[in-house]
Amino acid sequence: MKEISVELPVEPPVEVKSLFLPVPPGLMEESYKKDELVIFVGPQHGGSGHMRIIVRLKGDVITEAIPDPGYVHRGMEKLAENRLYLQNIPLLERPAIMDCANFNLGYVRAIEKALDIEVPERAEYIRTILAELCRIGTHLYDAGILSVFLGHTTGFMWPFAMREMICEALMRVSGARITASYIVPGGVRRDVGRDVLEYIKEVTFFIERKTKDFEKIFIMNPVTAARLKDVATISKKDAIKYGLVGPFLRACGVEYDTRAVEPYGAYDQLSWDVVVADEGDSYARFLVRVNEIAQSISIIRQAVSILRSMPEGNVISPDIAGKKKKAKKKEEEGEEEEVKGPSDVRGKLYRYYGRLTLPPGEYTTVTEAARGTVLYTIVSDGQSTVPYRLRVVTPGWLYLKGFMESLKGCRLADLQAVYGSFGYFPPEADR
Amino acid sequence: MNDPNIKNIKFLHSGLLSPVKKWGAKWSLWAVHLVTSCCGVELAHTYASGYDAERWGTLNFGMMRQTNLIIVEGTISKKMAKALRMTWEQMPDPKFVIVMGACGLEGGLFWNSYHIVKPSEIVPVDYFVPGCPPTPEGLMRGILALQKKIESGEAKATAKYQPVRLEEVLEIKEVKERKPPKSPVKIAEKPEIKIEPRDVEWEFGKSFVDELNQKLAGAGEAFITDVNRVYIRTTKERFLEVAEKLSEDFDHVKSVNVIDVIHEDKFIVEYTVSSYSSKELMPVLVTISAEIPRSNPRFPSVIDIWPSADYQEREMYDFFGVWFENNPAMGEKFLIAPEVETPLRKDFKIPQPNYVLGGESE
Repeated sequence: MKEISVELPVEPPVEVKSLFLPVPPGLMEESYKKDELVIFVGPQHGGSGHMRIIVRLKGDVITEAIPDPGYVHRGMEKLAENRLYLQNIPLLERPAIMDCANFNLGYVRAIEKALDIEVPERAEYIRTILAELCRIGTHLYDAGILSVFLGHTTGFMWPFAMREMICEALMRVSGARITASYIVPGGVRRDVGRDVLEYIKEVTFFIERKTKDFEKIFIMNPVTAARLKDVATISKKDAIKYGLVGPFLRACGVEYDTRAVEPYGAYDQLSWDVVVADEGDSYARFLVRVNEIAQSISIIRQAVSILRSMPEGNVISPDIAGKKKKAKKKEEEGEEEEVKGPSDVRGKLYRYYGRLTLPPGEYTTVTEAARGTVLYTIVSDGQSTVPYRLRVVTPGWLYLKGFMESLKGCRLADLQAVYGSFGYFPPEADR
Repeated sequence: MNDPNIKNIKFLHSGLLSPVKKWGAKWSLWAVHLVTSCCGVELAHTYASGYDAERWGTLNFGMMRQTNLIIVEGTISKKMAKALRMTWEQMPDPKFVIVMGACGLEGGLFWNSYHIVKPSEIVPVDYFVPGCPPTPEGLMRGILALQKKIESGEAKATAKYQPVRLEEVLEIKEVKERKPPKSPVKIAEKPEIKIEPRDVEWEFGKSFVDELNQKLAGAGEAFITDVNRVYIRTTKERFLEVAEKLSEDFDHVKSVNVIDVIHEDKFIVEYTVSSYSSKELMPVLVTISAEIPRSNPRFPSVIDIWPSADYQEREMYDFFGVWFENNPAMGEKFLIAPEVETPLRKDFKIPQPNYVLGGESE
């Protein structure tokens, strides 16, 4: 059909100005002339966390999507500059509390890197278990939110029932349902008992069994496949260009996983695979995450069986507990003793970490959180007990560009499906 | 009478149909979907199969036009405040508000942030549920308390605490005045920001940095700061040249960072780039940095070379006011509310914690 353009004097509605809608200058006029619709999606919408997407439509095909983030921006980078290194641990897990262990791990590793501390082996395995539990939890959470987006309420109930077990496991390990704050510089807060390890292993069997049921109900459901297949496809080239991260990058055929590329924790001692898909559409993004659950389960089981054969205790580095100095003194006096870290830091946190100061310099770590790479940069001046500058780049913030680009060419009704398939979580992206 | 809380209750308790209205409102508290922050995770658990809040007739729902309850889930940012008010205004009467989480009460973990407001200043709140985050049981208690309020017409706290007097409990004759503890937070007045080469065992890195230095041909100086971390120091004028040369190997930007060195009157702009296409360069993070004066913070944008830097450059404009030339979106606030100006500069002060009970924070 031939398009006819008519030069008419058009004026956008006054609400655009009076409600301070963040529309780029000239966008409304341009869309009016091109016979396009401009639709504001959000900030109140059915998803988890809130943001606004300004969508330009030709018919019902999206020609441009402009994000308006920041509705959950809480200024963590500024707050972190005014708090002790220790106080920043709970602060920095708040961006994505269901993924607490991974977010803590990145920050704590940056401190350990600066202080040049070696973490006891047992603590590394406990950290790995916790990180994988949180990864399963986040994948399940996003699967639940995706099904809400698709109007599949049963699909919301199942993963959340499974998540309940993960919350219980986190509670038995750390005492909190989701905000564990369990990982501290030099190790973990306290040792994990044998009964808790047994429970965690049982949880993995439960999740494995229930995931099979969930597969019938939601994952392999023809309606789900129809809503997600060939929607918002990103090519490998574009994925690299826009800097996608995590499972969304791997769904485009790029084999990049920080756990494999730059191993931390105990990942290099366990056997697991990087899950990769080639399609790059919404369904591939979802399936990659589902398959990662299976990988995480296998990692947890291996780590639990190794932990069982390890002697208990020694989960905090002796450097932090100040035992190295004592040992050195004894060594000078002629006595030699194996330095062992304590198994508990409860009640001693401020003694160990209160006056923690990092040597001057810049320390950067990348960690694979459930939704992708989280990057921490700590700049220290060497004198303060607080970071001089702390930069947090969360996965949500990194893949936002790719998410917006992928919406181009989709239909408006698919926007929810794409949003859900990315598992976009504004508290995480906005920090 | 203008108080919406009183108006709602008065409406429910007046007229012949009052028992029906009360019964109807009590058992159909539909909460609008307003996941303002991380407490939403626990809210989702409350309404999912584990706790099943639907037993009490409450249900989470997408549209505000068909609901009568807002559960504010955590922090309300300055940007979100307007959305919260608009959502509340669009709901039909009678309507109720429950605020969840410590952030909604007094700010919680984020009490001295530049970007949050208290929900009680925006909407009339019926009940607060403290916790960070509150457990699903805690949230259910808030909803049950609201049901009781609808039934009886008056708000009652669900927990009462007796004031404790130290003298009686510890059998102390007199309570001595104690000195306030010293704040452990120590911020250096004239800090030194130095990023220097370090000797580390990294064979590949040494040859890589030598190659890089040859390639740069004086446009910048590259050195190793740690295993897998390379730092390039260059100038603003030659920055794009360096970026162009690096873009052959490194295909995306992981982080854009600005460091405000106020006592030396300069900003340090850093781009951390990495590679997805080359297997052996995958773990390597290269940070390119340049210094710019604080008085004229303009910097060339790299979005033509690395489109993935776009949103982070706009974020840095919000935070520091650094103007990235050629980025078309400069001049518009992106992440933070328009009324907040360059919050991450060091001269933007936020309230400091006070360690003395009853004293005022600085």
